[in-house]
Amino acid sequence: MSTRAENRAAAAHHKVAAARRFPNEALLLVPAVIFVVATVVYPLLYNISQSFFDIGIAEIVSGAGKWVGFENYADQLQRPEFWAALGISVSYTAATVVLSVIVALLLAQLFQLNIPGRDYMRALILLAWIIPTVISANVWRWLLDGSYGLLNGMLRMFGIIDGDVFWLGEPVTAFIAVVAASVWTFAPLGMILLTAGLQSIPHSLYEAAMVDGASRWQRFLNITVPALKPVLYTTAFLLFIYTFKTFDTIFLMTGGGPGGATKILPVYAYEQAFIFFKFGKAAVATTILLVIPTVLSILYFHSIKKEERS
Amino acid sequence: MIEHNARRRAVAFRSIWATVGVVGLAATLVGCGTEAPESAEGGTEAPESAEGTTISFWQYYGDTTMPQGVPLYDFIKRYEDSHEGVNVDVRYIPYDDFYRTVIQSAAAGDAPDITLVNSLDTTSLAQAGLIQDLSDRVDEWGEKDAYFPGIWETTQYDGATYGIPHLADAYGIYYNKTLLDDAGLTPPKTWDEMEKTAAELSVDGRHGLAASGIEGVEGSTPLIIRTLAEGAEPTELDSAAGATALDSFQGMVDSGALSEGFLTWIEDDVASQFGTGEAAMMLNSATYISILREQYPDLDWSVSLLPEGSESRTTWLAAENLTISASSEYGDEAWDLITFMQDPDELAVYLPARNKLPARNDVPDETGDPVRATFSEQLEDSWAPTGDMAPVANEVFTLVQSALQQKLSGGDTDKVLKDVQAKIDEAISG
Repeated sequence: MSTRAENRAAAAHHKVAAARRFPNEALLLVPAVIFVVATVVYPLLYNISQSFFDIGIAEIVSGAGKWVGFENYADQLQRPEFWAALGISVSYTAATVVLSVIVALLLAQLFQLNIPGRDYMRALILLAWIIPTVISANVWRWLLDGSYGLLNGMLRMFGIIDGDVFWLGEPVTAFIAVVAASVWTFAPLGMILLTAGLQSIPHSLYEAAMVDGASRWQRFLNITVPALKPVLYTTAFLLFIYTFKTFDTIFLMTGGGPGGATKILPVYAYEQAFIFFKFGKAAVATTILLVIPTVLSILYFHSIKKEERS
Repeated sequence: MIEHNARRRAVAFRSIWATVGVVGLAATLVGCGTEAPESAEGGTEAPESAEGTTISFWQYYGDTTMPQGVPLYDFIKRYEDSHEGVNVDVRYIPYDDFYRTVIQSAAAGDAPDITLVNSLDTTSLAQAGLIQDLSDRVDEWGEKDAYFPGIWETTQYDGATYGIPHLADAYGIYYNKTLLDDAGLTPPKTWDEMEKTAAELSVDGRHGLAASGIEGVEGSTPLIIRTLAEGAEPTELDSAAGATALDSFQGMVDSGALSEGFLTWIEDDVASQFGTGEAAMMLNSATYISILREQYPDLDWSVSLLPEGSESRTTWLAAENLTISASSEYGDEAWDLITFMQDPDELAVYLPARNKLPARNDVPDETGDPVRATFSEQLEDSWAPTGDMAPVANEVFTLVQSALQQKLSGGDTDKVLKDVQAKIDEAISG
């Protein structure tokens, strides 16, 4: 048999084998598909469908809510509380993500330096991400308490404040406090992701730049930042998702207060569903919570694909 | 070549994190899902065991390691010991997750036989058809008249009885005897006196009074009690009574009698303030009696009735009812346990250990504890939401707290009351 004929035969054999393998491979996917449909797709669709029904406790148990079309949306979209919650969610998320990325980048850069005890410090900082929120949020609450909080104790010691300052009792400071607590939690995660990114930048680039006389700042600006850009985007995107869905930190620290100043959309939805038992209205809020990250994800993946193609 | 590898690594890295991103997104959205905490005693089902019937009992007090949980488990153990063939599977679910879990279980056809329900939520569950109408059993039982009417009222929906009061709790004024004695003061009997006494006690960085005013239902208690004292219900906030109540809190904050930080405190924080001497008096419930005794053994304190306003000294009633799920197959057994748990002699053992008060008037108090006696006396003058307000009580109370918040953030009393009243009316009218 000539070599060409042999190749043709081999190719034909592969084709047949692939065709024979295909149904089996598809079958192998079935458990994963069932799992994803049952645990992700179904709850999401169920949530969206709820937003079109008038649903109280009775209806959620019987499964027979009254179809109201877009009435829940009309009701929610004309409520200042809803828009306030959405606005607070967006500003809280933006502030937390930007600050977390900056802090994470600084930490990651710091730990690139060969300082003693570096690994231990990195592990310690990571604890902030690992500690259950129910603990960290309460610790923050105690730290920031106006009367017996550690922060005020220190500020008083240095003569910076005189009386009690209730950080969680004023809208602006409460907002800053929940952002600070969230940055404290999320920055270590960002640090780990960015460290991995930093370590993948070849040293030779820095060495070459040094030979050319580039300063530390120039090296950071012209080598680190461009090389790290994809990882930075990914980190920011991940932190956006984590932050936008945050519930426990704020629920435990402020309960959404004072006066709704930290009532982000998840807390608003929780209140509607599990305190006021208005599930249809809560579903509107959770659907919005679903739509915003989804749209951003699509844009994000689209831009990644575009970048890869280019 | 190096650049190529670096780029490939970056792309690979991106792909990994893109995948993580998708999973993260999915987790976000399923985050509000249906996880339920495990039973403190293991299972979550109520199976019929080989040795007899097992009934399930869900509650939010605590598990076997928590001071609020232990007395309940002991109580149920006494029932099991004296009732052969019946086992009770007690499951603790923290309050913030409680109704979510109960509702989801009911939707899945897996509701517990007995559910402990906050008096505020009893009507909502009855209205939703989740719990059984117990009227016939109550008639046969014949002990209805032993209950304080205000408490019994919280079990009623549409002319029928849907729960049996389990226990009650009242608010009173805890006062630090040492601080009051040193200042030559006595516990205030009226709110006018409270404003003056608390202001006088606010020295050395201390505040005269502490209370919980945090966002939500919990923080509505002070304003509810103060409004009731002026003769109006929380649903009638836009009234002279509501205005007096709001201005009273503003006045106390202005004079330093009450720390503005009270808007950030939950009731546990308030107890800490009082326990550490940061506050000379506190508005709080009987829940904290033994906590104070255990954690601050050197503190010399007592409790007085709520101060009187121009109309009354009514406490808002914190109570819990025991209910039987509509789908329970063990209605008789569940009823037997619930009524056992209302036996006056049994309650006489259980309630002091639990720091709570009886919902009925025939429970002997053998503790000889004057503090419990004061709370019991206070309980006789109590108020709980009924009628149209009952199913939306949580929403109304949340709004009541918001009035306090708005006023203390510099709002005009009349405008705050009008705005909040409009929202209360909307909540009630549905």
